[in-house]
Amino acid sequence: MSAKVAALIRQGAPTSCAGRFVLDADAWRAMIAGLHNADLPLLGLWADGVQVHALFRYGQTALVASVVTPPEGYPALSPVRIGAGAPERIIHDLWGIPAIGGRRDPWLDQGRWPVAPPLVAHPAPMPGLPEGREFIDGPAVMQAGGTVLGYGPAEGNFRAPFHLRLGLPGERIEAVQPCMGYAHRGLAARLRGLAPQQAARLVARIDATATVAHQLAFARALHNATGTAMPAQDVAAGVMLGAMERIATHLDVLAQASAMLGDGRSATLAATMLEQVRQTCRELCGRRLLFDVIPPAATFPVCVEGTQLAALAAGHASLHRLFWRPRGLAAQARGKGVLSATMAARWGIMGCNARAADKGPGDITDRLDARLSEIGDSLCALATPPEASVMEAEGGGGEGLGWAEGPAGPIWHWLRLEAGHVAAWWCGDPSLALAQALPVILSGAAYEDVDLIVVSLGLSATGADL
Amino acid sequence: MAQLHLFGPEGTPLPRLEALDIFHIESGGCTGCALELASLSRALLAGSHPIRFVPTPRQAGMLLLTGSLTAGMAPVVELAWQAMPGPRVLAVIGDCAVDGGLFGGNYAVLGGVGERARTSMALPGCPPAPDEILAALVRWQASVRGTSG
Ligand code: SF4
Repeated sequence: MSAKVAALIRQGAPTSCAGRFVLDADAWRAMIAGLHNADLPLLGLWADGVQVHALFRYGQTALVASVVTPPEGYPALSPVRIGAGAPERIIHDLWGIPAIGGRRDPWLDQGRWPVAPPLVAHPAPMPGLPEGREFIDGPAVMQAGGTVLGYGPAEGNFRAPFHLRLGLPGERIEAVQPCMGYAHRGLAARLRGLAPQQAARLVARIDATATVAHQLAFARALHNATGTAMPAQDVAAGVMLGAMERIATHLDVLAQASAMLGDGRSATLAATMLEQVRQTCRELCGRRLLFDVIPPAATFPVCVEGTQLAALAAGHASLHRLFWRPRGLAAQARGKGVLSATMAARWGIMGCNARAADKGPGDITDRLDARLSEIGDSLCALATPPEASVMEAEGGGGEGLGWAEGPAGPIWHWLRLEAGHVAAWWCGDPSLALAQALPVILSGAAYEDVDLIVVSLGLSATGADL
Repeated sequence: MAQLHLFGPEGTPLPRLEALDIFHIESGGCTGCALELASLSRALLAGSHPIRFVPTPRQAGMLLLTGSLTAGMAPVVELAWQAMPGPRVLAVIGDCAVDGGLFGGNYAVLGGVGERARTSMALPGCPPAPDEILAALVRWQASVRGTSG
């Protein structure tokens, strides 16, 4: 069935973007019908004002199906791909285009924007609700009864803001309603009209925990749009700095989780290693956090010093021992915050969290273990960097798609250039799928564990909200 | 002299710090400034220093903002400020919070709080490093001592 749906998409009109085809309304509906039984994970869904685009993975290739959207809307994908729910609501928030058969209640728009919908050419002024949109508990929260507790958006921590309504009829959470949009900065509107170099500076600041992956995915999309190959040095820098970023972000998660579980030794060790990584980054490219490093400076060194790597490897071995010691982190986090492989597939969650779910039940222990393993892998990659070669461009007609593996999962960027400037842009961040899946992941958890579960997932509201 | 153990193998000597409870809000940036604050917070905690980041505004003397102020976070920041007891000060860290930085005003963002409210401490940078943030806090504490003493 997957091959049939892929063939159906490819029968659409080809575009200047490699792998993107425009379907007519009938073909779009047929595609939705075919998706019921097809193994084509949805990687993203977005609009550009004229068309709606759905990005799928078919084997090792990316396939984009587009459909022109009349004002009354386009047939929703959410009935066959649950992960399309939030993107459909976001498209409605930003463009006013409804998904027929999907939900229309806001995902990002809290009723405080002065215009609506903000991305259309002539948005209507809105009075703006001084109190914001009233927070109405969903049926699940209402049915749960008992106590309703809030989590976020200001908990005094160091993460991007979002809010959860948690229904606790007893000791365990039964219903969860996420409220997003607090971290929304209107990036799609900001990028429009910018020269690619200016846009790249904004892209680097989408999410500091995955800045290299965002820069890399954007750079690949840009190379594909312009039909220029990515030089070998840029590819090598992407591999190396991507590994540094993965180590840093995973260490940050491990330090936070250890502190929350009262494991001071692991917390101090992870934080000390993190600081070493940040200082190494500063020595390598003048930045502790890896902003504006892709494309790299001409003088960029392509390897990390052996002594620094040896110190990190020793720290990693100790962290691993501490993690698995009796009554250590692994034992304490077992059984909490389960995101099973089936749930991950259902919600379109990929990357580190999906790999963790292949290790065991997919609980916090598996996720932290997966992060520890990836730190080890990344240290190996830094010790023996693979031979980098030029990455050839696909397409070149002014529109391009690119991706990179971030610490929390794959990150996608798509852009269209007009007269050398960004005319339209979209970014797919793994945190959006995580935010959507929170109600099932948190179901049955204790309130005290919410923070820990969220941290272990690496959910970043700034990546989800854009 | 206290040592800030996480900053380099030798540690960084620190001047005397006064007790201060800080409530931090990430109000709409990339969390880069917040990550650097987190590093500072861990270092202060490891060294048992009297500057603490607290989980509620009700026990804080300083409200510290990072990131541009989004439309969604404006009322949250206001509520936190109202919830702070007694003498309180406002601090902004990083370009976004100081003047909007790369995320100036648009339909979703009001801009940098540093441009809209009187702040006691404003430190630009994208992001400023933990030792720079600490130095700014120390300078601010010294200036307060200077004016009150
Ligand atoms: S000032 Fe820079 S590092 Fe800080 S939140 Fe803004 S974009 Fe991120």
